[in-house]
Amino acid sequence: MKTETTTKGSIPHYAALIFFSALFIFPLYLAFVLALSAWNTTPGLVPVGFHPENFKYATTLINFWHYTKNSIIICAITLITSTLTSGLVGYAFARIAVPGRNVLFMIVLSTMMLPGIVTQIPQYILFHNYGLLDTFWPWLFWGLGGNAFFIFMYRQFFSAIPKELEEAARIDGCSIFRTYWNIFLPMSFPVIATVSIMTFQGSWGDFMGPFMFLKQDHYPLATALSMISYKFEGQEDMILTSVSTAAAILLIVPVLVTFFLGQRYIVEGIVTTGVKG
Amino acid sequence: MKEKTKRIIAFYSMISPWFIVFLVFGLYPMMYGLYLSFTNYYGFNIKKLKWMGLQNYHKVFTDSDAMYSLGRTLYVTLINVPLGVAIGLGLAMLLNRPVRGVGVYRTIFYLPSIVPALASVLMWKFIFSSNNGVLNGILNLFGIDSVNWLGYDYATTSLLIMLLWGAGGGVLINLAGLKGIPRDLYEAASIDGASPFKRTFHITVPLMTPVIFFNVIMGIIGSLQIYMQPILLNGAELLARPIQPNYLYFVHAFQQIFAFQRFAYGMALLWVLFLAILALSVVVFTTSKYWVHYETDQEG
Repeated sequence: MKTETTTKGSIPHYAALIFFSALFIFPLYLAFVLALSAWNTTPGLVPVGFHPENFKYATTLINFWHYTKNSIIICAITLITSTLTSGLVGYAFARIAVPGRNVLFMIVLSTMMLPGIVTQIPQYILFHNYGLLDTFWPWLFWGLGGNAFFIFMYRQFFSAIPKELEEAARIDGCSIFRTYWNIFLPMSFPVIATVSIMTFQGSWGDFMGPFMFLKQDHYPLATALSMISYKFEGQEDMILTSVSTAAAILLIVPVLVTFFLGQRYIVEGIVTTGVKG
Repeated sequence: MKEKTKRIIAFYSMISPWFIVFLVFGLYPMMYGLYLSFTNYYGFNIKKLKWMGLQNYHKVFTDSDAMYSLGRTLYVTLINVPLGVAIGLGLAMLLNRPVRGVGVYRTIFYLPSIVPALASVLMWKFIFSSNNGVLNGILNLFGIDSVNWLGYDYATTSLLIMLLWGAGGGVLINLAGLKGIPRDLYEAASIDGASPFKRTFHITVPLMTPVIFFNVIMGIIGSLQIYMQPILLNGAELLARPIQPNYLYFVHAFQQIFAFQRFAYGMALLWVLFLAILALSVVVFTTSKYWVHYETDQEG
C-alpha cells in the first residue's frame, strides 16, 4: 500500500530514523558498558574487562529484593485502585448527563495543572497528625482518587461509543453500573492497557513521594537506589559506580519490558481516545 | 424512582471516589497550605502559629535567590518547551510513514521518557563527566577541546540536553494526532505540486495545532516545576545545593522546606509559582484562538 509520496525519499527517511534511534539509545548503551566494566575505571565506548557479576552485586550488596517488594506493593495498590476509579469516573462524565457535570469535569482537568508539591507538603503535615507516615495508606487514598489525565482518556474513549449500546442494555434491564461493568469496561481494553502501563511506569519510577512519606525500611527500589550508595564493608569511601549503574539498569528493565509488550495497545489507546479533542 | 433521579444518584456515586479524595487529599491540603503560607510555620510550632499576613509573599519578591532561580527557570522553560515540542512532533512525523519495524523505533524514541529520572541522571553524569567523560571523548575525536560539562558555564546546557533526551515522550500523543489528519489532503496537495516542505507547514502543522497546544501547556507546567534533575545531576545528596546556574525555582523551594524547615515561606514560594502557572495558562488559552485550528464539529 505504498503510495508515490512514501516511496520517494525513503532512504533519507530510514537514515533519519536510524540516526535518531542511535542518538536516543546511546546513553543506555553507555550505561550497559559502565555496568559491565571493572570497578572504578572510566570506560569509553567498550567495557573495561567483562564483569557481569556487577549485576549480582547490585542485588546482594544492598537489601535489593526487600526494596523491590516494597516497589511491587506500592505499584499494585496504585495500579488496581487508580485504573478502576479513573474508568468509573471517566464513564460517568462521558455517558451520564446530569446538571453540574461540566463544571465538575473542568475541576478534574484543572487538577492536572496543579503542581503536585503544593498539596504534598500540607499532606505530609496531615498524614503526620493522623499517624499515616511510613505506611502505605497514602498510596491507597491517592489511587482511589484516580488520575485526572486518565479520567480524561477514559471519558474521551467512552464518549465515542454509539448511544444505541446503552439503550439496548437498558431495555434488557441492566442498571447503569452493570452496563458499565459488563459492556463498556470490557470494550475499553486499549485504554485500560494504556492507563495500566503508564500508571506502572510512573509509580515504579517515583522516588520523591516515597522519600517524603516513608522511612528507609519501606522505601521502594527507586528511592532506595537514590539514597543508598553501593559500598563494600570496610571500604566506605569507595562508591561502586559500576554496581550502582547495574542496579539502575535492573530498575529500568520492568518498565522497558511492559512498554515493549504493551506499546501496540498504547498507540491504539491514545489514537482511539483522540487526546487532541 | 424517576429516571432523572436515578441518573443523578448513579453519576454522583460513580464519581464519589474521585470527588472525596479530591476534597480530602487535594482541596483541603491545598487550602491548608495556603493558610500556612500566611503564618510563621517552621516545623515545630504547629500548635501556636502566628499570623504573618503577606510577609512571606513580600519576602518571595525581595529574596534574591528566589528571583535569580525564577529567571533561570524561565530560561530553561523557554528553551526546553519549544525544542521539546518540536522534537516530539518531528519524531512522530518520521514514525507516521509506513516503515518496517516501526514498533522498534517507536520504543526507542519513547524509551528515554520512561526511564526513571534517577537512572537517567546516573547515565548522563557518566557521559558529562569532565575527566575521560564520553562526550568529551567524542568532542576530542573531532579536534574540539574538552569542556567541563557539569561546571558553571555548561551546567544548564547539560541539563537541557538531558531533558531534551526525554522529548520522545510526546511522540505517542503526536502520532495519535497525525493519524487523525485525512490522507486525501496530502494527496490533493501533491497533485497540486506542493513540495514536502510546503505540505508539512501548510497541512501538518496547522492541523496539529490542537496537539501542539496541549503539549505546550503541559510542557510549561512540567518545565517550571523541574527540581529533581538539577539536584541529582550536580549534588551528591538530595539536600545539597546544586551548582548556581542550575539553581531553579523549585529547587529553591525544596531547599527552603527540606533543608531549612522554612515551611511557611516554602509554601508561599510554591503558591506564587502556582499562580504564575495559572496566569500563563490563561494567556496561552486566550491567545490560542489565533493560532489553534479546531475542527468545527467540536462536541460540547
